[in-house]
Amino acid sequence: MRRMRMMAKLGCRFLLQRGAQLLCPRAAAESPVQLLGCVRTVMKTTWFEEHLTEDNQKYLRNLTAEDYRKQTAEKLNPLRDEPWPRQDWTEGSRRVGLVAVKLGMAPIWTKTGERHPVTLLQVQDCHVIKCLPKEEFDGHSAALVVGGKNVSPFHRSEETMEMFRNAGVPPKQKVTVFRVSDNAIIKPGTPLYAAHFRPGQYVDVTAKSIGKGFQGVMKRWGFKGQPASHGQTKTHRRPGASGPGGDPAKVFKGKKMPGRMGNTYITAHGLKVWRVNTKYNVLYVHGTVPGHRNCVLKVRDTVLPARRSTLLNPPFPTYFTEEEGDLDEDLYDDDLFVHTEPSVTLT
Amino acid sequence: MAVCTRGLGKLATPLRFCRKLQHQNERLFSTSMCRPAADSEPPKFVPPSKPVIIDKTQTVASLRKFLSPEFVPPRQRTAPFKFFLERKDMIRRRKMLNIPEFYVGSILAVTMADPNASGKTNRFVGICIQRRGNGLGATFVLRNIINNQGVEICYEMYNPRIQKIEVLKLEKRLDDNLMYLRDALPEYSIVDPEMKPVPFSPTGEVPLNSLKVRMRPKPWSKHWERPKFNIQGIRFDLCMTPNQMAGAQKHAQPWREYDMLREYDTTELEEQIFKEVQEEMSK
Repeated sequence: MRRMRMMAKLGCRFLLQRGAQLLCPRAAAESPVQLLGCVRTVMKTTWFEEHLTEDNQKYLRNLTAEDYRKQTAEKLNPLRDEPWPRQDWTEGSRRVGLVAVKLGMAPIWTKTGERHPVTLLQVQDCHVIKCLPKEEFDGHSAALVVGGKNVSPFHRSEETMEMFRNAGVPPKQKVTVFRVSDNAIIKPGTPLYAAHFRPGQYVDVTAKSIGKGFQGVMKRWGFKGQPASHGQTKTHRRPGASGPGGDPAKVFKGKKMPGRMGNTYITAHGLKVWRVNTKYNVLYVHGTVPGHRNCVLKVRDTVLPARRSTLLNPPFPTYFTEEEGDLDEDLYDDDLFVHTEPSVTLT
Repeated sequence: MAVCTRGLGKLATPLRFCRKLQHQNERLFSTSMCRPAADSEPPKFVPPSKPVIIDKTQTVASLRKFLSPEFVPPRQRTAPFKFFLERKDMIRRRKMLNIPEFYVGSILAVTMADPNASGKTNRFVGICIQRRGNGLGATFVLRNIINNQGVEICYEMYNPRIQKIEVLKLEKRLDDNLMYLRDALPEYSIVDPEMKPVPFSPTGEVPLNSLKVRMRPKPWSKHWERPKFNIQGIRFDLCMTPNQMAGAQKHAQPWREYDMLREYDTTELEEQIFKEVQEEMSK
C-alpha cells in the first residue's frame, strides 16, 4: 500500500512536471493569438488535475485523505527515532501553544449554581512542524512552528509541502509560530493534544476577528454621536470636531475616525479553562473568543503576571499520550458542576 | 315413595359428614346446595378480584414519541459535532433529573434551589407560555398571577439548581407561544398554586385545549393581530373591528412560505437524534 502510494505520488509529480513542460509549446503555439493583441498572463504553475482524468483525480484525493487520516491517527511521532531529551518544568518557562478550531458557545454551571458562558475549542490534528533554535529565530528565544487542521495537499506550493514533508505530517490549514523557552522545545512531528492545558489554568486566545467592513465612529470607536432631534441637520452619527484648533493647527496622528473595522488579529487574555475533553480534544474556555465559528485560532498559556501562578506543574514540554495514557475522558475544574452529579442544594 | 325417602335418608348421613369436614377444611368441597338456611350464617360476599387486562398489542412503540425540542439543532453553520457534545451532557443531566414531556400551554410546577427563599427551595406553579433555545441553554417561561401581580419566571432546563419539574396538566394550546397572555384578561393566567396533578395517558394524542382568550383593551405589548404572529387563540372579533383586522393584513408576507431558502425540514434529523437519545438514556 505504502509503495503504491509512493508510486501514485511520484506519478502525480511527474505529471505536474510534464504539465509544466507541456505548457511551453502551448504558449509558443498561442503566440499568434498574442500577436493579434490578446494579452495573456503567462501561467507558471499548473493545477494538479490539469492532465488527470476524472477517475484519477478522485482516486488521488481519496488516497491522500485516507493516508493523512491514518497518519494523524497514529499517535506516535511518525519519524520514529529517538525523542529529544526532556527537561523539567521551572518557574518562568514558556510552553508551546496549540492551534484549535472554534466550535461555538455553551453554558456551564458551577457547584454553587452560577452560570457561565464558555467557548468550545477543538484541537484538530495539531502537530509541531518545525523547531527554530534561538540563533535561527531572533536571537532572543527559541520558537516552534505549529500547524493545525489537515487540508488537501493539492493546492499548496512546493516549498510549503517541503516543510510538512520534513516534519512527516499532513499539510495544515493554519501554521503559526510560538515563542518558547529553550527548555521547552519539542521535536517536529510531535502531535499536540488538548490535555496540554489543564482545567483551572488561564489561557490567551488569538484569532482574526469578524470583519465588519467600513464603519462609522459610533460603531467603530463607540462615539456618542449627536441627538436625533432638536434642530439637528444631517448630523446624527458624525464624529463632531476632530481636534484642537489654532495652536497645533493639525489633526494628531491616530485620531479615531471611520474606517475598516474587524478582520484583525485580536487576543483575548486570561480566559479560564473550565473543562478539557481528552477523547475529542475539546477545551472549554471561559467567555468569548475573537473570530467566527469554525475559525482556526491560537491558544497559549496566559502572559498575565497575576494569572501565571495558576500554572503549577503543567505537562512539560507538552502532554505525551504514552506517558499519561490513563487520563480521564473529561477533566473538570474543581468548581465546575458535572452533569452526572445530583442537583445543587443550597444550605 | 317410601323407597325414595329411605334412599334420601341414606344420602343424608354422608352429607352430614361432609358438613363436619367443611369446618375443618373449607376448600375441600361445598355442601351449601343442600344446607338449610337456618343452619349457619350466610357467607360473606367477597367480590372477585378485578381482572388486569394486559393489552399485548400495545407495546412500548405505541407510547407517544416525544423528542424535546431543544435536541433539534438550529439551522446554522456550526459543526454538528458541537451539538453532539452538548447532547451528551444533556443526556447525562436527564439521567439525574427527570425532565418530563410538556408543551407550551401545559401547567408545570418547578422546584428550584433559591438562596433567597426560606428553606432554600422555591416551588412555582404556572402555565408554560414559551419554550426557547436549544442545547444546554434551553429555557421555558412559566406565568402565573400572584396577589394580582403577573409573575413570569424563565427557567433554564439544564440548570443544576432545578430540583424537580412536575407536569400538573399536560395539554397543548392553539399557539406555540402564549406571550399574548400578558395582554389578555388575568383570568387566563391564574393557576392555583396548590393544584393537584391531573392524570394523563402516556399514549395517544396530547389533549388540545382550544380555548380562545379575551384581551384587555389596547395598547398591547405587541401587535398580536398581525399575520407575523399567526395567533389562533385570541378572540379578535371582540376587540377589533373588521376594518382594523383588514388593516393588519397589509403586513402580511405571503411570499415567505414559498421561500425555499427558509425551508428547514428536521424530520429525518429528529428521528436520528431520537434514536440516539433513546439508546443513551436506556444505558
